Amino acid sequence: MMNKLVKTILTFVVAFAIILTIGQNETVLASTIETDSTEILDAYDNIRFYSSYNYQTLTEDRLNQLIVDFYVPASYGDVTITWELDSTYLSLSNHSEIISVQSTTGLVDIEVYPVTILQVPSILHGDETFELVGHFTYLDESATTSYFGTLVPVIPDTFYGGVLYTFIRYIKLFLEGAALTLGISLVGTVIGFFLALLIVSGKTLTISDSESKSVRIIKQIIQKLASFYIVLFRGTPMIVQASFFWYGLGLFGDALACGLFVVSLNTAAYIAEIIRGGINSIDHGQTEAAKSLGMNKFQTMRYVIFPQAIKNSMPAIGNEFVINIKDTAVLSVIGIFELFNQTRKIAGMHYRQLEAYFVVAIIYLFLTYTVTSILKQVEKRMDLPLKELPSSN
Amino acid sequence: MKEYILQVNNLHKYFSDQEVLKGIHLDVTKGEIISIIGSSGSGKSTLLRCINFLEQPTQGDIIYRGVNYVEHQNDLIHLRKNVAMVFQSFNLFNNLSVIDNLTIAPVKVLHKDKTTSREKALEMLDLVGMREFAHKNTKLLSGGQKQRVAIARSLMMDPEIILFDEPTSALDPEMVGEVLDVMKNLAETGITMLIVTHEMQFAREISDRVIFMHEGIVHEEGSPEDIFINPKETRTRDFLKRVIKEKD
Repeated sequence: MMNKLVKTILTFVVAFAIILTIGQNETVLASTIETDSTEILDAYDNIRFYSSYNYQTLTEDRLNQLIVDFYVPASYGDVTITWELDSTYLSLSNHSEIISVQSTTGLVDIEVYPVTILQVPSILHGDETFELVGHFTYLDESATTSYFGTLVPVIPDTFYGGVLYTFIRYIKLFLEGAALTLGISLVGTVIGFFLALLIVSGKTLTISDSESKSVRIIKQIIQKLASFYIVLFRGTPMIVQASFFWYGLGLFGDALACGLFVVSLNTAAYIAEIIRGGINSIDHGQTEAAKSLGMNKFQTMRYVIFPQAIKNSMPAIGNEFVINIKDTAVLSVIGIFELFNQTRKIAGMHYRQLEAYFVVAIIYLFLTYTVTSILKQVEKRMDLPLKELPSSN
Repeated sequence: MKEYILQVNNLHKYFSDQEVLKGIHLDVTKGEIISIIGSSGSGKSTLLRCINFLEQPTQGDIIYRGVNYVEHQNDLIHLRKNVAMVFQSFNLFNNLSVIDNLTIAPVKVLHKDKTTSREKALEMLDLVGMREFAHKNTKLLSGGQKQRVAIARSLMMDPEIILFDEPTSALDPEMVGEVLDVMKNLAETGITMLIVTHEMQFAREISDRVIFMHEGIVHEEGSPEDIFINPKETRTRDFLKRVIKEKD
């Protein structure tokens, strides 16, 4: 049984690691030039690449996300520039042509060499890095520099191609979102659990006639407050709670802190009810035995009832964690880039909603299923009653 | 004049409108073994539970060693430390191991030292023949074993009186013997015992006094010979006839 648990966790970790390495972008080298000629330096500083699309200027950054043909200049002022490009994906023409580009002084004719894309790299191949070598010559002086660019895959038109593309290309964004989602859910559930202990202690306060009137009134107020808290947080949607605290009260400077706060408070209400149910399900004989041994109410709760109630509640509390993995999606409303919000961002990049939401559905399913399996193993080992994949709050 | 360690005077107990105990008188001397018999619903268990304040007496006095605990309910711990209880359904703490079931009250209630409590617990487990199970989970025990542990647990507070509330009623027949044996051994140590039981043979052997309860009152009481051989009351006779027939 232990082996199985370790295997499950290992598989999870290995899968995570593989995905991370696939998603790693290569760092792009910046070009430099070494020369004493001011003319060449001037040319180096001022030359532009032009996209075949409307002859827009391609910045060096855009060269890193290349998806269209482009032009390299043949000269700048009196500096002539020749180019070399060694790639199976791109071809540099030997024949220059003249294009008219928009500049601050109006249209300007520029002599350029066209660079055409021969083939788009497949998504499985990934980004294709190329090196564009420029030889700058002015009179008898010359200098060489390299520009590095990457030709990126284009999203295929088919559904499966689109899914594969979205998954591989944006795995890093998805993983960032998933990590945030898991983090908020886990921390929220843990904090919620401890808050729930407080709430449940308040709600299950026993009031006896032997206590003074003021003590009884205070206890009653605490009980009412605890009940009200539970009704309030279970009776309103988390999306409303999140908006209320973030946009409404604006108490938090950080959306993540606000999100964590809301998830914790919300989960606390649910877990409090779970634990209360656990307490009620403990055989009354346990309390009687404790009483007959001289334990007071606090000792009975602390040493006998609570430990059993919490142990019995563990599967349901684990379920709250799984539910939170799904329900934290509503935190996108206050601008936290958890998994769902990341997906919205990704879906907007290519306007391919179907593929993006399909991928994220699979990721959510993977998360909940894996966490549920791990919890099941833990429950088995702890000898607790088992639960199925839970539905939402 | 005998010295009574426990006195129950005119005890009444209502459950809502129903009067379950209708004025019980009971005086207990030190070392006495008292069996309480009667059909179900006669109030035997309620009487026992009132003595330990697991049920709140509606009216009457529960006097232990000169203190009327009906009027001094803030000192119940003192009463419960000296008057232990053994339940029909054992009520071992499910979250604790056998030995922790024994040590929890002395350590947490009496603030006794943990090591000495464990030593004492092992002694008590020895007494009921459960020493080898000290570190087991209570789930793994049979009913008879659980009840023996429960008896050992009740001894941990050094009580003067032990109340047994049908200690063998929840047991399979083959396990009744082991529990009764433990109780017999215990009786010989001179501890005071109040036993609600359906084991007539056992009650006859062990008791100094037998009390027959019927509909919330003590209908007849006397020595085991008085009750089992020469019962005066017809109800007592009927009851014994019925019970002994059932046994056969």
